[in-house]
Amino acid sequence: MALFSRKDRKTAPGADEALGLFLFDAVNDALAAEKVLKAAGYELSLVAPPERLRAGCDLSIALPRVEHIGAERVLSDAGVHVRDWVADAEGTAEVCDLVTTVDFGEWLMVRAGNMKIVVEKATGVIVNTSGGGCPDIPYLNLALVGKRLDEVPRPKDLGYTLCGLMLDRAYQEACAQLDGAEGGAA
Amino acid sequence: MTLLVIATYPVVDGPVLEGPVTIEPSGTIAIGGTRVPSSQGTSAMLGAAAQVATHLGTPPPHALVAGDIGRGDGTRHVYERLLDTVERIRPSVIAFHYMQPVMALMRKAVEGLAEVAPDALLVADAGGMYAAKAAGLASRFELMTPDVGEVGFLADPKVTHPAYVSHYLFGNEGFDPVKLAASAHETGGAGRVLLIKGVRDHIALEGEIAEVVDEPCVPELEAIGGTGDTVAGLASAFLAAGFPTVDAARCACLANREAGRVMGATPAMHASDLVATLPGVLADNLCSWGGACVV
Repeated sequence: MALFSRKDRKTAPGADEALGLFLFDAVNDALAAEKVLKAAGYELSLVAPPERLRAGCDLSIALPRVEHIGAERVLSDAGVHVRDWVADAEGTAEVCDLVTTVDFGEWLMVRAGNMKIVVEKATGVIVNTSGGGCPDIPYLNLALVGKRLDEVPRPKDLGYTLCGLMLDRAYQEACAQLDGAEGGAA
Repeated sequence: MTLLVIATYPVVDGPVLEGPVTIEPSGTIAIGGTRVPSSQGTSAMLGAAAQVATHLGTPPPHALVAGDIGRGDGTRHVYERLLDTVERIRPSVIAFHYMQPVMALMRKAVEGLAEVAPDALLVADAGGMYAAKAAGLASRFELMTPDVGEVGFLADPKVTHPAYVSHYLFGNEGFDPVKLAASAHETGGAGRVLLIKGVRDHIALEGEIAEVVDEPCVPELEAIGGTGDTVAGLASAFLAAGFPTVDAARCACLANREAGRVMGATPAMHASDLVATLPGVLADNLCSWGGACVV
């Protein structure tokens, strides 16, 4: 019974479309929800909740209000915990998408927001990760350093916080820039 | 003259550890005799602080940490034990480091510290800094140590995490740490002293630049995970030894840079290499930098 299980949207949510927000207790819940909803065909964006709803290291999902019920059912079926839904996305902020690189000769450093990854060009081995301040960053450092880009899971699949999400963006860019290096489990 | 560092270490369900910090001959950091993994983050910060204490002959840093890989569990355990530990240790400096940036926990902690340790100087780096700023408590801190990707966050009163900082604030075109330091101070997003880590390190006192440190220039240090943490550890330890805060920050910048030069930093080296280089760097230079030779 696939009638209501998948969205086949052709256009992204427009500015005139009224948006609402799924709120989560943890960033990794938001990342899990993003994965599940995108697989189901929803167009969405990861945003900071409005100031009045923030607790700290927050991430929420904005999508058209009209799609709330269906999306909520998809998340429930997938076992993703949602703290709340608010039918008002005013005051949200986009996650920074600024990515820059520094060429150190044998090594390439990619910065994404406050996070950095450094890769040996010849081998694709991650030699350093840095930046950030959330507790998953030292954990990701231990998990990633010394391994090739194509043999590690994506940082956002291992991490739990916004710092982990930004490191994932740096990782994706490093994969894109180094020939032959495919991102891990995409 | 004791530095207390409250933080986390990257082990799933790792227990609360509390005690003095030691460096084993291999470079491994131990807290109360229990080893913690060597990586960027708090182990780098503690290693640098411990080297300063050894050099100056001051008490070793004392750490209160718990295992946390980003789920916030260890962070909560640490906050639960914080006030008891402070009452027992009576630290002169309390540094918040890699922790889940939960505003409510930080508010409760700072309120409690005002009761039990009103004279302790507060330092914040990493997630501790994110929480302090997001909770509107930054001005209660003596020292914060942002990098160029974080000072824009401190200067933007609307955001609660550096991941949401607008493009123009980051260390790219139009980036101006002098303006950002002033703005962070005016909007209550900064500690009394900011040590802004970058190609040029800027030290701001109440929003005004007091010192700029740009020599030796070792660009590779930016690529090495944990070299910002070692700066935070150095500055915290100098502060605990009684250095005035701006001097503590300046000596930290100089020591970190000189260690990078001496070790011949490459992007593939690690913070533990820098920590291992510090004893010689401090012995050779600290007196001439105007810090104390011994305490």
